[in-house]
Amino acid sequence: MRLKNGTIKRCLGITSFLGIFISLYMAFFYTPLDKNLGVVQKIFYIHFPAAIVPYFAFFVVLVCSIIYLKTRDRKWSKIAYASAEIGLVIDTALLVTGTIFDKPTWGVWWVWEPRLTTSLIMWLLYAGYLMLYYSVGEAERRSRLTAVYGIVAFISVPISFMSIRWWRTVHPIVFEPTKIALDTSMWVTTLVFLFSMTLFYAYLLGHRVDMIGLQEEIEDLKDEVED
Amino acid sequence: MNYLRHVLILVQKDIVAELRTKEMLNSMLLFVLLTMVMFNFAFGSGPETETLSSGLLWISFLFAAILGLNRVFVHEKDEGCLDGLMLCSMDCSVIYFGKAISSFLFLSVAELIALPVFTVFFVRESFLSHLWILIIVLMLGNVGISAVGTLLSAISINTKARDLMLPVLFLPVIVPILVAAVKSTGLVLSFSSVGTQQFWTEIVIWLRTLVIYDIIFVLVGFLTFEYVVEE
Repeated sequence: MRLKNGTIKRCLGITSFLGIFISLYMAFFYTPLDKNLGVVQKIFYIHFPAAIVPYFAFFVVLVCSIIYLKTRDRKWSKIAYASAEIGLVIDTALLVTGTIFDKPTWGVWWVWEPRLTTSLIMWLLYAGYLMLYYSVGEAERRSRLTAVYGIVAFISVPISFMSIRWWRTVHPIVFEPTKIALDTSMWVTTLVFLFSMTLFYAYLLGHRVDMIGLQEEIEDLKDEVED
Repeated sequence: MNYLRHVLILVQKDIVAELRTKEMLNSMLLFVLLTMVMFNFAFGSGPETETLSSGLLWISFLFAAILGLNRVFVHEKDEGCLDGLMLCSMDCSVIYFGKAISSFLFLSVAELIALPVFTVFFVRESFLSHLWILIIVLMLGNVGISAVGTLLSAISINTKARDLMLPVLFLPVIVPILVAAVKSTGLVLSFSSVGTQQFWTEIVIWLRTLVIYDIIFVLVGFLTFEYVVEE
């Protein structure tokens, strides 16, 4: 079982790294140069998946938190925490690429528009989640409290998005059917990138969950020694 | 019916305890006033400050709310009252609603005293004809703040950092309430410069956001509170 688990992880690792290399190659050599934005537009290929994957990661946090509270199986709280952490890292990548992308397109580093602002609030929410995780010593209580906060945090994301969207909007809505602003090759590259980044997320998640398991084991052993 | 009676008894207990010391109400009220004065020094007073005043109002209320929410479970936890309440043969959500309602009341009292002062300091045009809308906005905002704040206060009291934790958890969650409340307060304060038609269409959007948010967070608090306090 252990070997099989390791093989899956290795496969995930290899495919996600290959996938990211292929998508980078596609981004630079396969897709045409954007007429208005030029080479700057290439950042979109990493920007877009970096926007989608955190939502997915935080959704995983929500689902695992609910399952944890129902079953009280610590496996789920480990997955929830690991997913929050990786989601936060990718969200950071999103914010960084977003600001770099903003400067040449809108002329400023930061615009308080719905998508960007929601990503920032999401970042703050899950930074709070990590802080909460580290400020509770006891594993069972920690799992319980972070699970509740994981639920509250995810629920506030869509409402934040809607309220900020009503508040003001400049960001192009990529998904609006009448306004598909991208060439087919651009879409293909974006989707390949999205796919490889999701695999990469899964790869990191597997490793992180194992690490948390080991950390908790050490904590338990320490407690045993102290007793 | 018994459920409601239990909630009311808990609220009554909190009010009696608060009236003996008045520490929460006094500090909240003074804090709101201090924020307004500081705001005046930071931004100056003039016509341009008026556009900021609805934001100022809610920022000072929000920080005062954090001040109050931090105290919600301190006595309960330190004096072992929470354990006693948990041993009572009633639903856990009774404690949640009791606490949420009492923090709603304290926050509302502080706001009702601070609002006239705010009006004197920062508002030039009378909005008396639309005051009732502002009261609704305040009440809806307070429902959201105390619903989610009580839950997060119960979480933060269980951590090592205690009251340092609450603002970190609370502020990002409360963003939609802040946006909606500031927007609708701004509309009420400047209703004369906005057309009647536009005023009503916009205020409905923001009040709706507030209501949706309130319902969701009361539900979440109601459903998850027992997981936070159980030992």
